[in-house]
Amino acid sequence: MSDMITVTIDGIECTCEKGEYIYDVAKRNGIKIPTLCRHDAFEDHRACCRICIVEVEQRGRTKVVTSCVYPIDGECEIRTNSERIQEERAVLYALLGHRAPEAELIGKMSRRLDMNGFERLVSIDNEKCILCGLCVQACNSLGTGAISTVLRGTEKKVATPYDEPSKFCVGCLSCANVCPTGAIEYSQTDTIRTIWHRDFELLHCAECGEVMGTAESVRHAVGPDGELPTICDACRKKRLANEMMATYRYV
Amino acid sequence: MINGTERILVCCGTGCIANGALGVADAIERELVAHGLSDEVKVDVSVVRTGCSGECEQGPIVRFMPRDLMYYRVKERDAAAIVESLEGEPVKKLLFKKDGETYEHMDDNPYYALQHKVVLKDVGIIDPLSLDDYIARGGYEGLKKALAMTPDEIITEVEKSGLRGKGGAGFPTGRKWRTAAGYDVFPKYIVCNGDEGDPGAFMDGSTMEGSPHAVIEGMIIGALAIGAEEGVLYIRDEYALARDHIQHAIDDAYATGILGESIMGTDHKLDLSIVRGGGAFVCGESTALMASIEGRVGEPRAKYIRSVQRGLFDHPTVLNNVESLASIPTILREGGEAYAQVGTERSKGTKVFAMVGKVKHTGLVEVPMGTTLRTLIYDIGGGIIDDRPFKAIQTGGPSGGCIPEELLDLPVDFDTLVEYGAMMGSGGMIVMDDRSCMVEVARYYVDFLCEESCGKCTPCREGLRQMRAILTDICEGRGKPGDIELLERIGRTMQDASLCALGRTAPNPVMTTIKFFRDEYEAHIDRKECPAGVCAELTQFAIKPDACTGCGLCSRACPAGAISGGRKEVHVIDPAKCIACGSCREACRFDAVLTERRPA
Repeated sequence: MSDMITVTIDGIECTCEKGEYIYDVAKRNGIKIPTLCRHDAFEDHRACCRICIVEVEQRGRTKVVTSCVYPIDGECEIRTNSERIQEERAVLYALLGHRAPEAELIGKMSRRLDMNGFERLVSIDNEKCILCGLCVQACNSLGTGAISTVLRGTEKKVATPYDEPSKFCVGCLSCANVCPTGAIEYSQTDTIRTIWHRDFELLHCAECGEVMGTAESVRHAVGPDGELPTICDACRKKRLANEMMATYRYV
Repeated sequence: MINGTERILVCCGTGCIANGALGVADAIERELVAHGLSDEVKVDVSVVRTGCSGECEQGPIVRFMPRDLMYYRVKERDAAAIVESLEGEPVKKLLFKKDGETYEHMDDNPYYALQHKVVLKDVGIIDPLSLDDYIARGGYEGLKKALAMTPDEIITEVEKSGLRGKGGAGFPTGRKWRTAAGYDVFPKYIVCNGDEGDPGAFMDGSTMEGSPHAVIEGMIIGALAIGAEEGVLYIRDEYALARDHIQHAIDDAYATGILGESIMGTDHKLDLSIVRGGGAFVCGESTALMASIEGRVGEPRAKYIRSVQRGLFDHPTVLNNVESLASIPTILREGGEAYAQVGTERSKGTKVFAMVGKVKHTGLVEVPMGTTLRTLIYDIGGGIIDDRPFKAIQTGGPSGGCIPEELLDLPVDFDTLVEYGAMMGSGGMIVMDDRSCMVEVARYYVDFLCEESCGKCTPCREGLRQMRAILTDICEGRGKPGDIELLERIGRTMQDASLCALGRTAPNPVMTTIKFFRDEYEAHIDRKECPAGVCAELTQFAIKPDACTGCGLCSRACPAGAISGGRKEVHVIDPAKCIACGSCREACRFDAVLTERRPA
């Protein structure tokens, strides 16, 4: 194949296709680059946390790039953990750790780095969100688009429009589930789920009684003309298996 | 006396309009009717409302052409005298004066004599709403030539000119066009970046206001070169006048067959439209600008795949700054080599600067690349107001840096200032005297960026937040040993790891003030003293008894009622009432107000 390139990552020779991202090639070769805003579920990466920065040396020049979106275009030497990268990653962890002191994940990820010298930085009380934007990506990719980043600069945050209940939100919890720091709050009783300032009625499986989701999220899943299920996926499979056993004596 | 047609040019740039230029123009028109001019003169005089003449601080400016008589600081009540002078002696009191000399003509005025106008050659001369005016000065000649050339020939001409992106990045325009022309993906787009947002900058706004057809002609030529049939001008919402003039020019161009289905009767077509920016500084960044045009949040993306390959709506897109595009017609008309005669080895042509701050003659200037800062400030700008000591010049807006006295003889071009940690940038220049605190200046820019960063990536958003907190502490007397090093540490990470150019250059104001004015940081941190007497928490004001004349200007300027003293008596500041705003020091004509360290 003509477009195959050999690069060195942390001293290990790796083969890849032209245009592949450094992060993906490294991962395939067992080299783990830390990241917060990159998720396998999405094709596009926001490249905003900057934790996955690496050094690339190519044609005698060295630069710092974001490995999750940097397409390899020729032979080069990549260092994912050089002194420079460690220093800058430490600063980035410190910045995120002070932005979101309640995000325990940051402390865990940075424990191998020298995190001294940041005592002076100011913290935001009770903040958990690191603004990685995965929640917004999840919401958009589901076609709901109920939340987005709003405002700019240091005031930036994730919200529904004007912080009001969004008519597009289906209460599916995808945002909360994809959040790496558990920053998206929601509450749930037997019948009601509350998220993004809005209450959603929960549907229960007619057979096992488990929560199937909110009425809106189940509707969103089957489409506007689809038939609303009365039992959950697990029970539906179980029922099908039982029917097949009764009919064919095997599954 | 006048021979033939005389035009009375009234500068109606934004600055002069703010100073009453529209009223002046109306008054002159009324006087022309009312005044008993000899008949042959009367029919041949017209009032033209032009774009910015440049010397905003001296406005409103009125100029007779072709006689080239220039009047400054004109008021409505001067209209009669001005009209009378059409047939007689110039009005002495309205002429430019310097060191006792009076100057009648524009070129005698040192402010203009050292300039070299290419982009601004028609600005301040033509009526921006008149296509005929533009054509009369060679407008659309460049386009006519381009229509007879192949795309490759057009691009070669631009390459020969050495033109580099004047928005600040300095990327060679010809190379950008050639790359875009090489992609066989259609449609392609040409976009004009008119989102000029640096504090104190008004180069692009004035160009669009004063010579809108030059920008449009540049875009048409660019579109021919790369094979685009659609173009967008992204203009910031605050530039209402620029937007109106550009729209008017687009309408005229459509009506006369310069734009639309058949450009000047050829098979080429181009549609142009305006998109209004929403007032976000970050949308001047190319990828954020395109996101904004597409209706998405104005956030930059990583540019490892460039916009010339995948830009607007994921199609090949050329984004050029207003000033670059307005240079194109001249390059085509006179040839790339002629354009390259001016400038330095690696920075060709001219650059427009908006010079503001503590300089005597503020305004818009266009000079050859490589002109020194000293020439700009002292020869053209006339030096520092009240002849106070120069301290620093801030170039390149929030992405630039503060340059000290010892570097004033550096040539200003794309590359030289970068070696010193600053940059020429898009052309905003803020001159500061010894009463500017460099820590406070850094804090101002960081504060601006805290609001205007898009907030997408960690180093820019969080780095700025921490920098603002540390700088505020230093300015308010809570600075600690190690603060300077921590600022540098955060700054280096921002420079390396930020997503876009705005983030990578955001720490420049901090890094350059630390580099060139470290002693001022140390004075704030170690001695809790603001040497410039600006930071209120560290400063107290007093009046020197032997210098005070008792004129009372300071006590009238004081907003806190802290200054007492009778007429012709030495005045006294009550420290308990003083809010350390500095108004008294600004007001005093005798340098009698001094600042000292405020006791803890």
